[in-house]
Amino acid sequence: MTEALITLHYEESGIVILQMQDQAKKNALGTVFVEKLTEALHQVAQRAEVRVCVLRGLEEVFCAGGDEEMLLALAQGKIVASDIMLSRTMLEVPIPTIAVMEGHAVGGGLTLGLCCDIVMMARESRYGCSFMNMGFTPGMGTTRLLALAVGEYIAAEMMLGGQFFRGAHFEGRSQINYILPREQMWRKAMQVAAAIAEKPRFALEMLKRDLSLKKRRLFEEARTNEVPMHQYCFALPETAQRIQENYVSTKKH
Amino acid sequence: MTKEKIFSIVKKNLLDILEDADESAVTPDKSMKELGANSLDIVEVVSTSMRELKVKIPRSELNTLTNIGQLVDALYAAVNNKVDA
Repeated sequence: MTEALITLHYEESGIVILQMQDQAKKNALGTVFVEKLTEALHQVAQRAEVRVCVLRGLEEVFCAGGDEEMLLALAQGKIVASDIMLSRTMLEVPIPTIAVMEGHAVGGGLTLGLCCDIVMMARESRYGCSFMNMGFTPGMGTTRLLALAVGEYIAAEMMLGGQFFRGAHFEGRSQINYILPREQMWRKAMQVAAAIAEKPRFALEMLKRDLSLKKRRLFEEARTNEVPMHQYCFALPETAQRIQENYVSTKKH
Repeated sequence: MTKEKIFSIVKKNLLDILEDADESAVTPDKSMKELGANSLDIVEVVSTSMRELKVKIPRSELNTLTNIGQLVDALYAAVNNKVDA
């Protein structure tokens, strides 16, 4: 392995930057990547001196969502959707989390960001739910968490139609904290993080736990309904075929 | 349907999707990347155009295209195949 897929950078101010940097696979959620990301989130949770976690992806891609191998494993029954607990791991980080989605975020990758307490999008990047483009219903808590972020009607359009909207599309009609030109995002993220990092850890932890309750409930509710829908969709042979067809193009780009 | 008509559909979708693209710069020899499109902008232009023309081009074929003219050719072929079928 050349470079780490995930790095953690601890700043003296109490900010930890979790950088997802799998250039080759565009931060797609594959088995190894998810394992490393989960490990990193657990590490963050254990460090007593950190007070806020900033989740960052690559400039062009925040996270590309489930990779082909992971989706095919689901379709082939090698793993079950209920095993994918990344959203919960993200929701359970004991300190406040900020998703700085400078690049595209697709499917589970978008939902990963939405599991954070504070969310930032780039005006020019695209955000969408690709699940139904491959013929299966959304997972990772998307069915409830997306509606929380962008409203039920816009979430329904995104999940049913599978379009990729520019960040600018959500301006003035979502709960997203900041939708900015990409080059302005990092500075703003650091300002937001710094304001949080000066508060005491015990109070941040209690308040985070309280404020995230709604999302954690929604995630459990989503999971309850998403898993049986997945079981149905993934049992159909055409789903595996659609997944393979979908990934033909992304392999070369 | 003529190639010109298909080009105008692709161009319209491209200008809708890439809000800041310069209309006069959209020519068949250009790639969407050159016009400032990112990977998902391109996906949106292609899927919107295929939907409008009621055709589907396999991803494996789309993957080989390098400029707008080639996309128009592929859409033109798909539209004509559909008429013949």
